[in-house]
Amino acid sequence: MKNLNRRLHYLLNRRRFDEELTNDMEFHREMATREGRQNFGNALRLREQARDEWGWVWIDSFLQDIRYAARMLRGSPGFTLTAVGMLALGIGINVAAFGFFNLMVLRPLPVRDPATLVQFQRESPGNFADNFAYPEVAFFAEHSKTLSAVLVEGSGRLTIGQEEKPVGVGFFSANFFNELGGVPMLGRLLSPAVDEAAGAAPVAVLGYGTWRSRFGADPFIVGKTILLNQKPTTIVGVLASNFSGLGLEPPAISVPIVQKPYFEASQDLRAFSEKGINVRMWGRVRSGLTPRIAEQELASLAAQLRLEHPKDIWEKETLPSRPGGYATTVRAEMYPVLALAGALGTLILVAACVTLGGLLLARGVAREREFSIRSAVGAGRGRLIRQLLTESLLLALLGLLAGLMAGYVGLRGLIVWADLPAWLNPMPDGRVILFAVGTGIASVILFGLTPAWHVARQRYRTTTMRQILIGGQVATSCVLLIVSGLFVRALHQATAASPGFEYERVIALEPGLEGASAKEARAFFDALWSRLGNVPGIVSISMASNPPLGNRWSVVKTRVGGKAVNIHFNNVDADFFETMGIPLRKGRGLARGDKREIVVSESLARAEWPGENPIGKQFSDSKDIVVGVVGNARLVSPEDSDAVEAYRLVQEDLLPSMVVLIRTAGPAEGLVASVASVSKSIDRLRFPEIQLLRSSFNQKVAQARYAALIVSVLGAVALLLACLGIVGVVAYAVSQRTKEIGIRMALGARPAQVLWVVLRQFGNPIVIGLLVGVGGAAALSQILRQGLYGLSNFDPAAYTGAVVAFGVAAGLAALLPARRALLVDPMLALRYE
Amino acid sequence: MSWEFSNIANRHLTRGISEVYTTHNAIMPNVEMPIGALVLLILRVLRSGTLHGYAIAQRIHCLSSEVLKVEEGALYPALQKLLVQGWATAEWGVSETNRKVRFYRLTPAGRKQLESQLADYERVHGAIQSVLRTA
Repeated sequence: MKNLNRRLHYLLNRRRFDEELTNDMEFHREMATREGRQNFGNALRLREQARDEWGWVWIDSFLQDIRYAARMLRGSPGFTLTAVGMLALGIGINVAAFGFFNLMVLRPLPVRDPATLVQFQRESPGNFADNFAYPEVAFFAEHSKTLSAVLVEGSGRLTIGQEEKPVGVGFFSANFFNELGGVPMLGRLLSPAVDEAAGAAPVAVLGYGTWRSRFGADPFIVGKTILLNQKPTTIVGVLASNFSGLGLEPPAISVPIVQKPYFEASQDLRAFSEKGINVRMWGRVRSGLTPRIAEQELASLAAQLRLEHPKDIWEKETLPSRPGGYATTVRAEMYPVLALAGALGTLILVAACVTLGGLLLARGVAREREFSIRSAVGAGRGRLIRQLLTESLLLALLGLLAGLMAGYVGLRGLIVWADLPAWLNPMPDGRVILFAVGTGIASVILFGLTPAWHVARQRYRTTTMRQILIGGQVATSCVLLIVSGLFVRALHQATAASPGFEYERVIALEPGLEGASAKEARAFFDALWSRLGNVPGIVSISMASNPPLGNRWSVVKTRVGGKAVNIHFNNVDADFFETMGIPLRKGRGLARGDKREIVVSESLARAEWPGENPIGKQFSDSKDIVVGVVGNARLVSPEDSDAVEAYRLVQEDLLPSMVVLIRTAGPAEGLVASVASVSKSIDRLRFPEIQLLRSSFNQKVAQARYAALIVSVLGAVALLLACLGIVGVVAYAVSQRTKEIGIRMALGARPAQVLWVVLRQFGNPIVIGLLVGVGGAAALSQILRQGLYGLSNFDPAAYTGAVVAFGVAAGLAALLPARRALLVDPMLALRYE
Repeated sequence: MSWEFSNIANRHLTRGISEVYTTHNAIMPNVEMPIGALVLLILRVLRSGTLHGYAIAQRIHCLSSEVLKVEEGALYPALQKLLVQGWATAEWGVSETNRKVRFYRLTPAGRKQLESQLADYERVHGAIQSVLRTA
């Protein structure tokens, strides 16, 4: 260690020590001259030898290498730009993807001390919930000694003023904002002392976006009174735009949770079930304690509470925690998507690097003379490799910087395009930079090492390496092309084909009956049915528990005959099939009084009972009896071609959660207003949500199109990279064999024969690469299928399409430079060298 | 531990010394110098007091009865090694010709190094001697 310090000392003061050494040696010469000696060596060389002892020679030669490499790259700007562009693409895509993952999962939210925040869940043998009843959390907040603060967030929807459409409202414990270090942009935030005191006035804090969009950024908004669900509420402040809350986006309006019953009369703060308020719970663990200790304390508190509320607190209830200070946590169902992103990113990087490796190898030919001169004047093989690696390093560094920039721009674009909250900062942090550097190093190893080795050994005439490069390129681009082809085909099929139900002329009405009893709901629906019956233009009315194209579904994943099947269960009324235009194929539809009778879709019937008549069959292990078969209707996810459906008649207890579907004779838009007013006329306290199925459908299709677009862009990039690589390598092969071609032409070879000579060597690697690529794509699509529906295992069109597209592009890419072989002048070629 | 292996780091210093011998072959007796011996000799010479570079070379030359001649090409790398290893320090002084020059002084670490190198040398030397005498 001391030794290293001394060496560093010598490095840092090298100028002074060099002068001292020079002085010493001059003195030596003076003395020697006095004694009559004449023959001296080269003073500079001797001094350099002495200086070598300090151990910093490599720095000098490294700087020399860098200077030389920079000169080389400046000397061929076309190559440098191409190379840096490829690397920027390969690294940039990965950096952007990782940056997004980092923002969502790895980077703590911009709140105060996110490390000590944990989110709790309820668990007991056989039970699991994210949500708590408010009184349970309140009990924990009151009695916990291990948590310095308990944060509560409940959600709901309230209307503003006289508007029809309710907005998302967060119901918070009053300590929520202060505890997270939130600051108001105007006025104040919620405060426990004021807003949770007995008889506190109803107040609301506006989100920044809401303040801008709905209140015209009114600077004097604080103190004004607005109507929330027709209840007067005082606005006390506006949240700053950079406050994230504990999710991706803070709600439009924040209200103290103790005020929830004021806005929604059906809710009761002290109730556990039915009328109770569902909330999520976070805690801040006291410093020095671990979440584990807090969990234990809460479990014992839960046991204590269970003595008073044995029905509401589960037996052996535990409260497992997970880190709470992050935008999202990775769950098992996200793995396939992450694997897909990782695989695609890696493939693009590999494709870029392999292509670049080919280009570098091809460049070796142009530099053949340079390298023979350098080794002739005494550069060892190691020195040559070092020189080439330095050039690669410099390229990688430039590519890395460009890639970081590209990644930043990409991520920024994504945030703007996807309308993500403003506090997400796309600027790369340490983790992203580290990742980018890692990718850069990986890319240097991929593209730099083998060409350097070959050039330095002057063995670059061997074709094996080149063939491996071509094969690798073909394989990676092939995988990307096929996968993107699969995506595009799947989405095309899903969106072009009819979803199997009527969506153009249907209005979905979510009546907002949460908290109502089955009886109240029945009364509401009866009234609604009779009043809507009088509205002209309405053809049919029905209800379903999982509305088509909505965000609710209940899926049972099973395997039938080795094939994954997702059964979408839906509780509907008897008129559902008529309203939605789903044709009856066999048997009968659902009828009043059905209990165990179910109706299945054609594809489910075919999967379960191939070649048999499904009517009267018992459905798997349940006691359900199939009474009818209807056409396929992918109600929830049009892109999921594995989905099959099963329908049950709705029972009374489910009524409060039903969604009403209204089929109109003409365009649905015209009836939205009258449907809304009818619904309001029945119960003024309910706030229905109305949606046109057509716009939901268009939204779903648009999302699918964007995904397909992104994957196709990746595929196109891969194809472009492969073509560039093939152009480079074939051009190299041509320039290498100029002399041979000249001889062949002089002896009378025809153009086709000349081309064959040049291109023959690439036949095998391309075929092998294609085979590997097809296999890889098949394997990858297997993985993808587990998470991304609608990809078919084997879609001949996608495979052949990709292979043909690749073949044509690769053929053109090979022919362009190969044509140069035909232009070789035999006489010039023979005289060369 | 044999002599050669203990001084791998010094091996290239002998290149300088052997160069000296080849260039002065005509006037110098051809004497094999053990590997790493120069550092040992410098350390030993410095034990008697501080010296500047030229004086070190002179001292070795004289004490070896003018058999060993140390050229700049070997001496200064060896001295840099001593400095970097911390076996010697350099301080400014004035030469007998009234010129500013650096004098080299042995450090305690250098003294230790000298002792261990001497011990090694003696062992190998003794071993060689006994082989020569008895074989």
